[in-house]
Amino acid sequence: MLERPDAADLLATARDALLAEILPALPAEKQGVARMVAAAIAIALREAGAAQPATPDLAQLAAEIRAGVHDPGEAGHDATRALLRALTEARAAVSDPRALRRNG
Amino acid sequence: MDEALEAWLRVAAGDPGLTITGRARLSGGAIQQNFALDVVHRGAPASWVLRTDSTATLAVSHGRAQEFALLRAAQAACVTVAEPLFLCADARVIGAPFFVMRRVAGMAAGHRVVKQFGGQPDLVRAIGAEMARIHTIRPPRADLAFLGAPPPDAGRAMIATLRARIDAAGTPRPVLEWGLRAAERACPPPVPPVLAHHDFRTGNLMIDAGRVTAVLDWEFAGWGDPAADLGWFCARCWRFGQAAEAGGLGARADLHAGYVAAGGVLPDAARIAWWELLAHLRWAVIAADQAARHLSGQERSLELALTGHLLPGLEMEILSMAERL
Repeated sequence: MLERPDAADLLATARDALLAEILPALPAEKQGVARMVAAAIAIALREAGAAQPATPDLAQLAAEIRAGVHDPGEAGHDATRALLRALTEARAAVSDPRALRRNG
Repeated sequence: MDEALEAWLRVAAGDPGLTITGRARLSGGAIQQNFALDVVHRGAPASWVLRTDSTATLAVSHGRAQEFALLRAAQAACVTVAEPLFLCADARVIGAPFFVMRRVAGMAAGHRVVKQFGGQPDLVRAIGAEMARIHTIRPPRADLAFLGAPPPDAGRAMIATLRARIDAAGTPRPVLEWGLRAAERACPPPVPPVLAHHDFRTGNLMIDAGRVTAVLDWEFAGWGDPAADLGWFCARCWRFGQAAEAGGLGARADLHAGYVAAGGVLPDAARIAWWELLAHLRWAVIAADQAARHLSGQERSLELALTGHLLPGLEMEILSMAERL
């Protein structure tokens, strides 16, 4: 068994230290970089806790959508729409949870 | 570079007494470099900007001459721009072609602009008026011949361009395909082409004391549909975290009022909504390309890496907007 705290705990604690102690001490022109570092850690943390969704053959799906196979009125339209939404929600939950709440 | 530059500027400005008193590098990208030039011209101090290409990118150095021509056309159409002064196509003077424009006061950074200047209807109307003046520039124009012939249908041309870029990038993007296919089904009929800025948004407008002091970044300008600029400016992805629909700065109605007051003919709401969907699709394709530059090792960068993580949020918007077309 590996020593604790684990990766998620370390990342979260490092991010807190960055925002609480380092960011306020930085000159204004470097604060943006510190915020980006905090954002990157937050994404990595969420990814570590995310379940990998089962993914269909995206290349085939993309080609079919472009060809109109999943247009409204076609048999697979509703299921494809639901699939795309579920896949995108799972990715947004890691990358951009605010967008998820806006469109939820 | 100062001695050769000073000699060239004396001829270009018709002032044998012109002197350069200061030069400092301004923010620039991988492609362009900007220098603040302080000069004494006809006995009075003047503040100019010299814009040139990085020496590493000489292959695209003709870009500065085109940008100069666009700025002159915009200025002639009464668009507020940094006044273009002199163009030097001779790479021997400073090592690359360049042009000189007047330096304008203000700031452009989107996140700061929306916080400092949000909620000012006069500013939003003025922005609408700037856009309308750009759209008074119509083909054919010999001085803008480098833009090529207008696409017969700007909307369908944009769909084709984005599909080609997705294919070139090599990562399947079913949600972008979903949005593009929905856009294709609902594509509005073409309109007579105008000059569209194609990156007209908060962040590319220099603002000072609540006024527009310059419309910046003309590198994507081309013949197109005026609704493309209206949709791009109002797209949620360019509101910098604010609720205000017009670029995070104010009400859409004020933007449109300013557009109409300056002589613009407002496209119908469905056409603007269509271009707003295209705005999200185009930004998503650009964001994916930017992340690819990081992933390939071509340009390792935290900012580019994070830009890739904008895609799922943009795709959420695209799915919602495609439903509403």
